[in-house]
Amino acid sequence: MAKITLDIFRFDEAVDVVPHRDAVVVDIPETTTVLDALETAKADVDGSISFRRSCRSAICGSCSMNINGITGLACKTPCNTVMDETGAIKIDPTPNFQPMKDLVVHMDPFWDKYARLKPYLQPSDSDSAHERERRVSPDDMKKLVDVANCVMCATCYALCPVVSVDPAFAGPAAIAYAYRFIEDVRDGQRKERIAQISEDYLWLCAHCYACSYCPKHVDPNDRIIDVKRAAIKDRVLMNERGPRHALVVTKWIKKVGMLHETELIAGTIGRFNVRGLLKVAPLGLRMAYKGKMPPMFLKPIPKVDEVRTIFDALEVPVS
Amino acid sequence: MSATLLPEDLPLDAHRRTQSAQRGRYGFFPGCVAKESCKELFNSTMLLADKLGIELIELTAASCCGASVVNDVNRDVARVLNARTYAQAEALGLDDVITICSTCTGHMRAANKELLESEERMDHANAILGKFGATYHGKVTVRHLLWLLIDDIGLDRLRAMVVRPLNGLKVAPFYGCHIIRPESVNGWESARHPHSLEDVIEAIGGEAIDYAGKTRCCGFHIQLEKDDVAANMVGQNMRMAQDHGAEAVLTPCPLCHLALDGYQADAAARWGRTDLPTFHLPQLVAFALGVPADRLGLNKHLIDPRTILVERELIA
Ligand code: SF4
Ligand code: SF4
Ligand code: SF4
Ligand code: SF4
Ligand code: FES
Repeated sequence: MAKITLDIFRFDEAVDVVPHRDAVVVDIPETTTVLDALETAKADVDGSISFRRSCRSAICGSCSMNINGITGLACKTPCNTVMDETGAIKIDPTPNFQPMKDLVVHMDPFWDKYARLKPYLQPSDSDSAHERERRVSPDDMKKLVDVANCVMCATCYALCPVVSVDPAFAGPAAIAYAYRFIEDVRDGQRKERIAQISEDYLWLCAHCYACSYCPKHVDPNDRIIDVKRAAIKDRVLMNERGPRHALVVTKWIKKVGMLHETELIAGTIGRFNVRGLLKVAPLGLRMAYKGKMPPMFLKPIPKVDEVRTIFDALEVPVS
Repeated sequence: MSATLLPEDLPLDAHRRTQSAQRGRYGFFPGCVAKESCKELFNSTMLLADKLGIELIELTAASCCGASVVNDVNRDVARVLNARTYAQAEALGLDDVITICSTCTGHMRAANKELLESEERMDHANAILGKFGATYHGKVTVRHLLWLLIDDIGLDRLRAMVVRPLNGLKVAPFYGCHIIRPESVNGWESARHPHSLEDVIEAIGGEAIDYAGKTRCCGFHIQLEKDDVAANMVGQNMRMAQDHGAEAVLTPCPLCHLALDGYQADAAARWGRTDLPTFHLPQLVAFALGVPADRLGLNKHLIDPRTILVERELIA
């Protein structure tokens, strides 16, 4: 048994203007989960402490919170893996969400983005036209099972730095779930789905891997790349900056073996998009003044034909 | 505490003692940005290598690692491009490829992991390399210069080499993403509680500042997608750093450098002025080891780091 101090964020939007913190001491084995520690605190010390939970076994996705700076499921986090030397654990609501009461947050933005996916199968023909069930081969199903494990706990959404500065971004879970339908052979709305998620800023993912801490190993970061590849393969909204950027980088690596910084700026923004180019111009001018401009022309690397052989062997699209 | 947070499949090769390390002769992959807009990084790396007494043999025929971008187009090409680079290192008798860019580190390690984990993928890559007579035998480890400093040189030796200690300069370490995440690829240290940059800062006489932004993304990869979002990501992190007392920032990645150095001005409207000068890792270490400041390309930065060095009486 150990004395563990839970330092809890307290706030009730119905009455409080500013949040405060309460320190609650519980006497429990150190291997207890943070969720059970909170349950003990609520049962024995202060019944008004609010938090979401249901399954207590990482299945319902209710209990995501910020535990000593790390966001994750409280029911999957043993106290002894997070408490500091003094036995204290700081507990806050998940970041990127508006607090409602204590550790309970307003989940609406997360659900809204999910709802926009139309998260149900939309086959291309009606069920009555089918004499048998719609079949999926084991291989096709394998692609979907990991994503289907998503419990919508929003841990990834809370960790995403792009969501934190631009709430319009769909966020990792919604893109991963879009993948679940885009790659489902029974679905008939593949292109529409790719277009919808592209418009919800698929290409704004910063590749930061913060969402790799998904407690259910959905790896949204990798599914996002899968959806981008699907967009390029099906040539959906190819005139947007994201796919243009990907293709111009690829094209120049094939040409010179290296990234071509100057070409990729013009190629992404659009050579004739004067407004867009002027917007990056101030930074460009500041850099040029410091002698920091990337070169206009790049000499190909030695044996660049080997690089081209690789691109050709793999039939990599470059436009 | 941090050990328990590491994934079980921690890729221990990050700490491997390579033959290259034993001989002090390494394969060197500078990456595109250190050859294009961040030449000062390339130059200070070579000057630092001199001071450390190690030989960095540039893989001059290596291609771009593919960054995070070519993966968006094709799932195999980055893996095969990097296999070609590793084959070149092996042909030179080098089993260690040192990088100075976090994005290179992360993506080259990911490619290597994919190759080493599957015979099928290795054979697939070698079938293509075979078209021009190259083979990758799987002997290479990819590491960042930061890890070389700590594992091969050692913090004690580094401390002993310092001739110009930083006088307690308050430096905010900025890890960013790809040198730590995903842990299953990098795994040199815990991505949630890293301390390598802090250790180096302290070894060269600085004081490391702690702030939550140190492991957050700088937004570099979406600058061209939506520059205001990228600028805000810089502003958010630099605001935290300054609020915790930072006078300067240290980063192991030229892309982070371009973002932090280039976008603080644009982020000022929302986050207030921060103007924190940003050092490349080898710049600040080389400086402490006695390389003259005027050889480090500090004048190339948009936020001039010489101002704080003068203020702290580290240069005249
Ligand atoms: S992807 Fe993972 S972290 Fe994100 S909501 Fe689903 S289960 Fe939670
Ligand atoms: S990888 Fe993309 S989606 Fe995931 S946290 Fe980073 S920016 Fe967000
Ligand atoms: S990560 Fe960037 S700098 Fe490094 S090789 Fe790839 S494109 Fe070049
Ligand atoms: S911090 Fe920036 S440059 Fe560094 S890896 Fe992340 S996005 Fe890339
Ligand atoms: S209580 Fe259900 S996931 Fe934690």
